[in-house]
Amino acid sequence: MRRFILLFIVISCHFSFSQNKQLLYGFSDIPQSLLLNPGGNIKNDWYFGIPLLSHIHANVGITGSTVYDIFANDGIDFNTKLQNAVYGMGPRDFFNGNQQLEILSGGFSFGSSYEKNEYISFGLYQELDFITYFPKDFAVLALEGNQNNINRPFRAHHLSVAAEVISVLHLGYNKKVNDHFTFGVRGKIYSSIANIRSTKNQGRFITVVGQNNFYDHIFNLDLELRTSGLASLIDDDDSDTNSDAVVKDLKRRILFGGNLGLGFDIGFTRRLNEQWIWDASLLDIGFISHTKDVENYKIEGDYVFEGINPIFPDTGNVQTAEAYWSEIEDNFEDLFKLDTTTTKYITWRPLKLNTSLNYAFGKKGYEDCNCTRSENSYQNSIGLQLFAMSRPKQPQLALTAYYYRRLFNGLQIKTTYTIDSYSANNIGLGVSANLGGLNFYIMADNFLELKNIYNAQSVSLQLGFNYIFNKNED
Amino acid sequence: MQKQIVNYSFLVIILYLIFFSCTKEIDFDQADDFEISPVMESSLVFFDEPANSFLLNNTEIISIKDSIKIDFFNNEFIVDNLIKADFVFETTNSINKGFQLQVDFINDTEEQLHTFTIRVSPSSDGSDVLSNHVEEFEGDTLTALKSTRKLVFTLSLLPGGPIDQTTRGRIKLESKAVFYLNIGEEI
Repeated sequence: MRRFILLFIVISCHFSFSQNKQLLYGFSDIPQSLLLNPGGNIKNDWYFGIPLLSHIHANVGITGSTVYDIFANDGIDFNTKLQNAVYGMGPRDFFNGNQQLEILSGGFSFGSSYEKNEYISFGLYQELDFITYFPKDFAVLALEGNQNNINRPFRAHHLSVAAEVISVLHLGYNKKVNDHFTFGVRGKIYSSIANIRSTKNQGRFITVVGQNNFYDHIFNLDLELRTSGLASLIDDDDSDTNSDAVVKDLKRRILFGGNLGLGFDIGFTRRLNEQWIWDASLLDIGFISHTKDVENYKIEGDYVFEGINPIFPDTGNVQTAEAYWSEIEDNFEDLFKLDTTTTKYITWRPLKLNTSLNYAFGKKGYEDCNCTRSENSYQNSIGLQLFAMSRPKQPQLALTAYYYRRLFNGLQIKTTYTIDSYSANNIGLGVSANLGGLNFYIMADNFLELKNIYNAQSVSLQLGFNYIFNKNED
Repeated sequence: MQKQIVNYSFLVIILYLIFFSCTKEIDFDQADDFEISPVMESSLVFFDEPANSFLLNNTEIISIKDSIKIDFFNNEFIVDNLIKADFVFETTNSINKGFQLQVDFINDTEEQLHTFTIRVSPSSDGSDVLSNHVEEFEGDTLTALKSTRKLVFTLSLLPGGPIDQTTRGRIKLESKAVFYLNIGEEI
């Protein structure tokens, strides 16, 4: 039990992730930017991602306290730091995570006209996403108990957790209609490997001064945890010989043996004039239907406990103290009884919106180059990006200003300044380099915090290798 | 040429940032010191009865005895983490007789592990006589509490004036338990 509480508190104060890829968005030298806007600009003729290495993304972060706040080796008592963290955080502080691994990807352009203006891209990637809000009232109850909190409600909705592992097979179509407008759409089939969701908890526990005794303890609980894909794995854990079967089962789920869902992305790029570009995308408009391997747990009940009256259980009634007491015990059992059901459920994918306004400038001097001029020969661009994502309690928002520059032929950088829930001074840097047909990119944010990574509110890293056949290198 | 220098210095800065991020000293072993000390309070037993509740067929009842089986104190969480408990009683008596409540703590082999008695003075003029009692459980008595499976309550009226249907006044008892917990890796 105490290990559980420790784990709960420590993990709650640990890390968080976000799905904002402000560095990759609009970085059209990297083919994976098409996953953030299916209607984005395309600079290559065709490409394929190096399997398992084409896109590796991890993002961790937290609002409220940092790992350093709690675990700094500074001589201050650990429990003092832990308490400060608990009191410093609110129920809207969260800790969330996102990780992606592209297994396969590729794309090619085609078109009947002299210029190939249509593009097909496809791939398979695995994604892990989770968010947990800081369960403030639960933490305070564990820390203090109810003695100093008479009349204070401990609210169940502070407990809000969602986590899932999915694989996504996708196919995208992009069309450059003319010099001013490009659009794209991407269809997705989701296969949920595992899902946990407990985001609609309600009710409370409160101790108030009672009528007949010191206190009335009022329980009014409605908590539910839904899971899919976990029950069978947990059962399998009982025997070691089944680990091969588990691996086999997981592989099958990645390849569409899990709970299936459908979704799509849409996006466009609009060139307002030679130098100004506006683009936007809406990602993961979709759902997953959890029908297989579902196990839901529910605690629901109302009860007011004012103590027991063992001597005069019920005056005028023949009820014995024993019967009276077992009735109270039954009431408590009913209250905390975990109902397990296998009712299927649907989850909506977290919807993501990206939009940006960009200004390109600084054409490369003719004397430096012996290649042909093209419309996108600007060496620099700056812009503003907005990211929004639906989350259980409130949308997650981020505003980014960026500067993009081509340093050399085949080497581009992008630097970003982002304001979001985690911090107001997040500086990120991304680099994309081409060596022949091989493209390598790496990007990370929160550089100001890297001098002490444990104090960072969020850190993200993306990297990958592709083989690109570029239009410009014809 | 100047442009090249600018470009190269950009590159150097990027590489520096990528490869030379670092950390300040962190000690995750501190988690071993984890300790929280919540104090929980819970209502316990209560009653509030007029004097004539002590009459059965117009005859005065000397004492009432009842028991409850309780598994709460041997719950693993309580056994591991409870470091002290107080049972707090508050009584009000407005009957012209004193009363006492005896509470016996019995284990699963019917042995009595602990007992205490609260005595309440009579009210001579019908006004409320207030008294309170705090029973502390620490050390041996705490160990006894953690082995308790049954509580026996015996309420007795003490000698004093007689009780009949017209006797005024009532006796009232409220109580709560205060559980001092210490949850951590080591206790």
